[in-house]
Amino acid sequence: MIKVSQLLKTVSTADGDLNILRGIDLEIEPGASAAIVGASGSGKSTLLGLLAGMDVPSGGEIWLDGESLNELDEDQRARLRAEKVGFVFQSFQLLPALTARENVMLPLELAGVSDAEQIAEQFLVEVGLGERLSHYPTTLSGGEQQRVAIARAFARQPRILFADEPTGNLDTRTGERVIELLFELNGRASTTLVLVTHDERLAARCDRCFAMTAGEIVER
Amino acid sequence: MTSGLSWKLLSREWRSGELGILLLALVMAVSVVVGVSSFVSRLQSALLSESARFLAADMVLVSRTPVSDEWVQEAESQGLVTSLGVGFPSMAVADIDHMALVSIKAVSTGYPLRGDLRWSREPYGDVIAEGSIPAVGEVWLAPRLFALLDVSLGDQILVGEAELRVTGAVRGEPDATTAVFGFGPRLLMNVGDIPATGVIQPGSRVEYRLLLGGDRSAVSSFTEWVEPLLGQGQRVDSIDGSQPRINDTLDRAQGFLLLAGSLAVVLAAAAITLASRRFGERHTQYVAILKSLGARSWEISRLYGFSLAVLGAIGTVVGCAVGWAIQAGFIQLLGDLLPVEPGPAGWKPVLIGMVTAAVCMVFFAWPPLRRLGLASPLSVLRADVGIADSQRPQDYLLGGLSIVALMWWYSGSAAVTLAVIAGLSVVMGLGFFAARGLLSGGRRVGGFAGSIWRVALAGLQRRGRANALQMVIFAMAIMLMLLLSVVRSSLIGQWQAQLPIDAPNHFLLNLAPEEKPVLEGFFREQGVATEALYPMTRGRILSVNAEVLPEWREVEGEGVPRQREANFTWSDDLPEGNVLLDGEWWDADDSRAWISLEEGFAQDIGAGLGDRLSLRIGAAELEAQVRSIRKVDWQSMRPNFFVVFPRQVLEQYPGMYMTSFRLLPDQKPVLNQLVSVLPTVTVIELDIVIREMRTVIDQVARALELVLGVILVAGALVLISGVRSSLDARLKESALMRALGARSRLVLGTLWIEFLVLGAMAGGLAAAGTEVAAWALQTRVFEMNWTPTLALWWIGPVTGALIVGTLGVWSCRRVVNTPPVTLLREV
Repeated sequence: MIKVSQLLKTVSTADGDLNILRGIDLEIEPGASAAIVGASGSGKSTLLGLLAGMDVPSGGEIWLDGESLNELDEDQRARLRAEKVGFVFQSFQLLPALTARENVMLPLELAGVSDAEQIAEQFLVEVGLGERLSHYPTTLSGGEQQRVAIARAFARQPRILFADEPTGNLDTRTGERVIELLFELNGRASTTLVLVTHDERLAARCDRCFAMTAGEIVER
Repeated sequence: MTSGLSWKLLSREWRSGELGILLLALVMAVSVVVGVSSFVSRLQSALLSESARFLAADMVLVSRTPVSDEWVQEAESQGLVTSLGVGFPSMAVADIDHMALVSIKAVSTGYPLRGDLRWSREPYGDVIAEGSIPAVGEVWLAPRLFALLDVSLGDQILVGEAELRVTGAVRGEPDATTAVFGFGPRLLMNVGDIPATGVIQPGSRVEYRLLLGGDRSAVSSFTEWVEPLLGQGQRVDSIDGSQPRINDTLDRAQGFLLLAGSLAVVLAAAAITLASRRFGERHTQYVAILKSLGARSWEISRLYGFSLAVLGAIGTVVGCAVGWAIQAGFIQLLGDLLPVEPGPAGWKPVLIGMVTAAVCMVFFAWPPLRRLGLASPLSVLRADVGIADSQRPQDYLLGGLSIVALMWWYSGSAAVTLAVIAGLSVVMGLGFFAARGLLSGGRRVGGFAGSIWRVALAGLQRRGRANALQMVIFAMAIMLMLLLSVVRSSLIGQWQAQLPIDAPNHFLLNLAPEEKPVLEGFFREQGVATEALYPMTRGRILSVNAEVLPEWREVEGEGVPRQREANFTWSDDLPEGNVLLDGEWWDADDSRAWISLEEGFAQDIGAGLGDRLSLRIGAAELEAQVRSIRKVDWQSMRPNFFVVFPRQVLEQYPGMYMTSFRLLPDQKPVLNQLVSVLPTVTVIELDIVIREMRTVIDQVARALELVLGVILVAGALVLISGVRSSLDARLKESALMRALGARSRLVLGTLWIEFLVLGAMAGGLAAAGTEVAAWALQTRVFEMNWTPTLALWWIGPVTGALIVGTLGVWSCRRVVNTPPVTLLREV
């Protein structure tokens, strides 16, 4: 389902080239859940951006659901995301001008789904926000915002879900509830889940756990 | 992405208020352009009809022989209205002891076709301006004639063989400056009485004037028809040539108004650019989220292109309506204060508004939004990822070229456009190359300063590129406002200098040398100030370098040298107001036969420096060599001469004297006494002419001030947009400072310093740009003398600092009265 071979990412800095990822090899089966853990600056988020096709590698290759990202241009990678990928971010990344319902509708509308509104409402009810459909993000708590983000991620029924520190901005109790929700929906939809986290408890709930250190990865 | 989704996203964007800012900038841009240009159009058409007033018609056919009936019929068949006038000098006789040489004007029904004939029942009574003329058998006299002829209302006077009854006093004729028939005071009568007078005989000095009025196309088509048919002594006077001084004033006023309109276009573009950049910056993250959710670049471009098109349409319609309302409200509000009755604006302002909106949208609003398609979705994971190369040089180039084209189209003047572009180029050149250097230098200075200064100057340097751009925009707006103020002041100053309040308003001719002491004594007694007395001898230029010039009647066409008769004078010094173009002036005791010629006169006779001329004065002939060529200011109210000799050369020939002097309205009866003391002198009264000119100049000056006001408001709006463009970054930093414990005083002080420094530097740049543009405009467009406006160099920085500082701190005032956490969440 997700296959990474000899992945490199190098950026130029004033002090010369900086190798952020140094030959990553990785394979995650369909429907599995995987956690990537590591210290700040170890390259976790860079790897996630590359896996989701939001950035291009300096070397190596990535296959997502059988498609090689290296052969796709930016717009084709965007189409792939629209069709197969969902996202949950640490900072929620909801559009402040849109209501909870409209935020969930957005990826459905981008994919041309006709009954976007009903689907969005259904998912918001599932995450427990049936009463908050018309609320704007600024009027929702952090946990509620993350639940809207989860509803948005699952509404398109993606084959793969990437989550970047999904509990990073939440308190422990709220974080736990969000994790429950995430795994529950993931289990129901048989989505491949890749999440980046500092949270060892969250990592422990995943089928596999990879640790990153200085741009290199090992499975624990 | 479907257009349905584009509509949905557009409506959601609209609800968020972000699009509203862009729309507001567009509406402002279009409404200022439409408002200024329609106001200018209405003033222009009003000023054009104002200048028609000086002809009393839209066009006049002047002839020494009666105008053919066929021509009158042709004019009327082309839709023109006509009115016939006849002018000639003659004697008016009340009785054997009271007679006067008068300048007679006989008019027919309809006179004047433009402007008002002002008259009163008593010589100096209440003025009536309703449309009437003396009835057949009646005359109206200049007030002074009542005393000269010793007549009052109802008395009879003789003009030739006709006995006419005095029924009113002429107080003002619109065409007093263009229809002059001899030097005497005016007598106005009905053209129907002319045959009864019997004064017009073959060979009489008579001027027939066929006044024509109608729309411009009919006037020009009749002009084209009649011009080939004109014979000797016939000509067509149009608005353009009727009154050089007034035309000059109106031409310059028009230049100013077009300049103002062009500046409105530049300000509009600046406002749109700022708003669009801010919109683009605020939407980078929005687009990154859309892209992370699968939106493709072209879909993003289509979304924003669609949004912009809808915004453009709404902005254009609303802007045109608001602009129209602004000028209508302006005219309504000003009411009687308006210098002239406003004319129609036509559709051009709306067209200009639409084209301005389209150009602003495509070349200024679109580039920052088009770049949004390049936003990296990665920035949803990493906040430090922005849009690389957010604005390309070609965007600026295309924008610049489009604005040049727009200004050129709008002003119709390459010179106006180039002058403004020259100033703006100086601002941009200096701004981009010097501003960043100064800002980084500022930090080094700040290193030695107190903490507020250090923080402020570090802030300026940190956002160096954005600040340089912001400074240039501020400088452009300030420059345009300063430029318009400077040009307005120098135009009005020059107009007022041309017609100073104490300018002489009467000329006195034919004063015999032995009468000089009498006149001087009389004026002293009456308290009348005079210019110097100028000797005046009539003479004729016969040949140049022994080549005899043909007489006037022997030559056909313009530009062929011919004999000229002129008034000669002598002078020890170069006459006041004259400029020596070539050659040298003579010493006061020089007795050689030198001669100095006015440049146009020298051309007429085909003479240049060093040429030998033969002249005739009375019966004597003399030879003289051209010693200098002079430029004469014909617009001054001083006696001016084509030909000047050294004193010792001309003094030996018999001659008379002339002078000019100033009389206040209540001193007019002095003229009657003067004529009785010195009965042979001739007095030319120019007071009415000067009053008319001053009225027009005052009106035009007021119109310029109104337009300047509109542009200042537009400039202020651009400054506000400029301040807003950097608001988010400043609010965020200030909120962070407060969150870290900085007191309000430090935060506000920092903001004050940042904006004051930016404003002062922008003001300095603006002063430099203004000097360059003002030089180009004054020397190339308005044909005025240029002197540097030194005051700009302190007015620019001080006003820049005050305006930008105040606006900036006012816009950021929330930072001290809103909890930092709220601000941080918002931005």
